[in-house]
Amino acid sequence: MTVSFAVNGREVQIACDPGRTLLEVLREELSLTGAKDGCGGEGECGACTVLLDGEPVNACLVLVGQVEGRRVETIEGLAPPGGELHPIQRAFVEAGAVQCGYCTPGAVLAARALLSREPDPSEEQIREALAGNLCRCTGYAKMVDAVRRAARELGREA
Amino acid sequence: MPSFQLHSPSDLAELTRLLLETEGTVLAGGTDLLPRVRRGRLCPAHLVDAGRLRELRFVRREGPEVVLGALSTHADLSSSPLVRELAPALSEACASVGCPQTRNRGTLGGNIANASPAADGLPPLLVLEATAELRGPGGARAVTLPELLLGPGRTSLRPAEIIERVRFPAPPAPSGQAFQKLGRRNGMAIAVASVAALLVLDERGRIRTARLALGSLAPTARRSPAAEEALRGAEPGEAAFRRAAAAAQADAEPIDDLRASAAHRRRVLEVLVRRALERSLDRAARGRRP
Repeated sequence: MTVSFAVNGREVQIACDPGRTLLEVLREELSLTGAKDGCGGEGECGACTVLLDGEPVNACLVLVGQVEGRRVETIEGLAPPGGELHPIQRAFVEAGAVQCGYCTPGAVLAARALLSREPDPSEEQIREALAGNLCRCTGYAKMVDAVRRAARELGREA
Repeated sequence: MPSFQLHSPSDLAELTRLLLETEGTVLAGGTDLLPRVRRGRLCPAHLVDAGRLRELRFVRREGPEVVLGALSTHADLSSSPLVRELAPALSEACASVGCPQTRNRGTLGGNIANASPAADGLPPLLVLEATAELRGPGGARAVTLPELLLGPGRTSLRPAEIIERVRFPAPPAPSGQAFQKLGRRNGMAIAVASVAALLVLDERGRIRTARLALGSLAPTARRSPAAEEALRGAEPGEAAFRRAAAAAQADAEPIDDLRASAAHRRRVLEVLVRRALERSLDRAARGRRP
């Protein structure tokens, strides 16, 4: 069976069991390994966060048959390969909001969804937006700084 | 993930037919169902995805009633101006579910059909006296939530029957409602205990109607008739709210589980009842609807 959807602006058609998770298909069929499995596929950790029609979801809890005709964005879509980092990515680097990096793609995408809806978020809104992205090493203070920094940066660009 | 066959019907008739033919399990947001399948607690041979039935995702007013499509997500409901205005307890409950990722997928219908004693959406729906409109091979029928919720994970849904819509009357003015939840932490937390309250005042400012519902405090989310009786006709305020909080104990049957002990739940029950009532009164007194 074939499933068709858009990934990072590109239409893809994949022949596979529609009952496989979006996370598996992104990683194993499309070699997009930015989304990660951190909790065994239970939707607890947010390391597999991708944007589905612009909203953050856990790709481990979405079956690929459920994204037929829809729009998926992964961390790989944020900046072109070899090109400049996206301002949110740059802010995470500059604020020191990255240590092991395992949770980072998910946290960056959660921040992206927040900033596209709310260009000047409060600390509470930032913390709420990142509540589903578990980080066990950097902690959240630097991530909150990074999202604030990214908001300022994107505000200047706009 | 253990193997199952996924079906993706595009309308309600096909959904019903597939559920009937395959004896499959209906899949909505998947935030509860898919982890259970993965852990092997549920081994369905067929999953029937309701996600393409866009007509089941809406929030609207129909005369004196509010009607919610069963596929409305927690994010839809927490951000809906209509739900915020007429059902703030439900709006608050949906905003307290899991995290953004969960709220973007998890649905109202799924929250009800799972029949978790800790489901955040259920205490508010109970105080709103919501009706669930069901559809199955035998046609459509409507049931109250207490008729639907039989026990932990158990409902009176018949084979191949789904929840299509939820409907409740817009509360009269002046009234106020609120949802209070205690979890182990703020984000990604399943309720240790939760309470929803709704107060309707009379022209002298006394309590005309009080409704109170408990979550994570009994085998199903349930109303507390004892607390409601203690409030009826009373002057709203600390004394009445303390009596109601004490009375609510009679309707709670908490258990010890991995999140909290029964004794702890009984203690926090009193605090949550008082806070939910104070907040409801505050909102009613401000004359805001509801």
